[in-house]
Amino acid sequence: MQSNKYDLIVGLEIHIQTKTKSKMFCSCPTGYFQQEPNTHVCPVCLGLPGALPVPNKRALELCILMGLATECSISNEIYFDRKHYFYPDLPKGYQISQYKRPICSDGMIKLSNSTVEIERIHQEEDVAKSTHHVEPGTGLNYSLIDYNKSGVPLIEIVTKPCIRSAKEAKEYATRIRQIARYLDISDADMEKGQMRCEPNISIQEKGKWEYKDGMIKPIGDYKLNAKVEVKNIGSITAVEKSIEYEFNRLVEAVENKEEVIQQTRGWNADRGITEFQRSKETADDYRYMAEPDIPVIDISKEDIERISKELVELPSEKVERYTKEYDLSDYDAEVLSSEKEVAEFYDRLVEELHGEINNLAVSAKLASNCITGTVFAWLNEKGLSISEASIDIDDLVQWSLALNSNEITKNKAEELLKESLEQGKDLSDLLDQFREKAKKSSGNIEDIVKDVVTQNQNAVEDYKAGKKASLSFLIGQVMQETQGTADPNEARSILIEELEK
Amino acid sequence: MKIDIPFLKHIAELSRIKLTEKELEKFTPQMKTILDSADELQEVNVDGKQAMKKHVPFSTLREDEAGETLTQEEVLKNANYKELGLVKIYGKVFGDIKES
Repeated sequence: MQSNKYDLIVGLEIHIQTKTKSKMFCSCPTGYFQQEPNTHVCPVCLGLPGALPVPNKRALELCILMGLATECSISNEIYFDRKHYFYPDLPKGYQISQYKRPICSDGMIKLSNSTVEIERIHQEEDVAKSTHHVEPGTGLNYSLIDYNKSGVPLIEIVTKPCIRSAKEAKEYATRIRQIARYLDISDADMEKGQMRCEPNISIQEKGKWEYKDGMIKPIGDYKLNAKVEVKNIGSITAVEKSIEYEFNRLVEAVENKEEVIQQTRGWNADRGITEFQRSKETADDYRYMAEPDIPVIDISKEDIERISKELVELPSEKVERYTKEYDLSDYDAEVLSSEKEVAEFYDRLVEELHGEINNLAVSAKLASNCITGTVFAWLNEKGLSISEASIDIDDLVQWSLALNSNEITKNKAEELLKESLEQGKDLSDLLDQFREKAKKSSGNIEDIVKDVVTQNQNAVEDYKAGKKASLSFLIGQVMQETQGTADPNEARSILIEELEK
Repeated sequence: MKIDIPFLKHIAELSRIKLTEKELEKFTPQMKTILDSADELQEVNVDGKQAMKKHVPFSTLREDEAGETLTQEEVLKNANYKELGLVKIYGKVFGDIKES
């Protein structure tokens, strides 16, 4: 995805369903996933005449929390507006949203190589679920509507048009999802529609535009190309792919002198393309007006303080701590902080180890090796999360300590850990058994070396003839005989001694 | 605001209503009369006046607790068409009206 002539300009809108028990403006339960259609509905979210909206305090707290986590300024008054459009998924004929005064504004998120500016985060309500069909027999088009989703709290996070590559958009979306999960604002599962990404994409000729005051402006008499909004993106990977596709499509269209109109397109994941949906309605078309049924809500400093107590150390902060204080690689730091429960598990393991060996960097490295190696491999294979796997942290501490003191070799340690995970055996029992065997064989390692030398005369002769590789083979034989309990360094020196005799 | 035939046509498209040329010609002056009368409000001087809107403190908002809902039967009671517990609506959602 590269062009010498055009720059890619992306702004991202991310919608997140926040985790509340009840809907945004009524007390209907939100847990509608896989439930019978039209069973989580009342006159308010069905838009029946005379029904009045009553804002949900928790939902607004979660919106503010997201704003605090992304360094937004929080408004001291909340205003709601009506956004009108006609669509069967919107029973009232308007959506309650926020137009000119969002709750949160002017925030930012730091990425690995850039900063994404957040223009606003506002509160709104989700719409109903609609599916579209053609009736067999009559050939008529029809839609089926389930209002369970109608009125579920939804926050919209809007960036400025400051994203310059598909990769950057992907990283930003990943960060937003991590923050939402860390703060328990949402599970942000894209497959379940709890998080939706809609990139606004345009291409502009290099050197003909500038980014000023949070906007893209033409230089001289250059005419900016229209932007395209892409919907129906079902995964973080699709964010990147759809932007790449759209960039190439737009470059081709502009090069062929086709007119690019402002439009909404849908991402077709199966075909890997975007398809035209409709020409985009402009803000005027939505006929925004102040929502007369909801009073202005005053937020005090105390309210904000109380909500900010829910802030926890965020993934980007963890990465920084892991790389700076723990001296981990960027890669390990990213992997360990990508999920809150993994990071918490890791932090606990480091803390426990640090209590035992009094060296933070060594503890951090041991814990990192322990989790990112065998544990991750096994979790991935089984498709389990770290909490589902019920791994005993004390056992891992003992295991890491044994490894650190060279009591056990790395290979043998990995083998025991794997055995414990796969067969559900107690890791501390396995370690005990290992120690028993080690004790037994430690006295007679010299005998074992002698046996190995007698039984492998060919290798011994090769070694004496100068083939040093034979030594590794012989050490391997000793390790095998001791079932891995011998210290390979010890085995090596005894073996050399024996061979030099 | 300029109220002319293209404007009314655009409003009709947003409302998913199809109007004939004859209807557009008939409704345009009517719409203009209605909006002109609303425009009279613009003449009122509101300088220094605050919007009349009630304020409530954040703490008094509704607590997040789930409550009663309607039954599926009640929800579907007013639907002309229904299928498998869903409201059925005829018409093509995308592409039935080409916007000008």
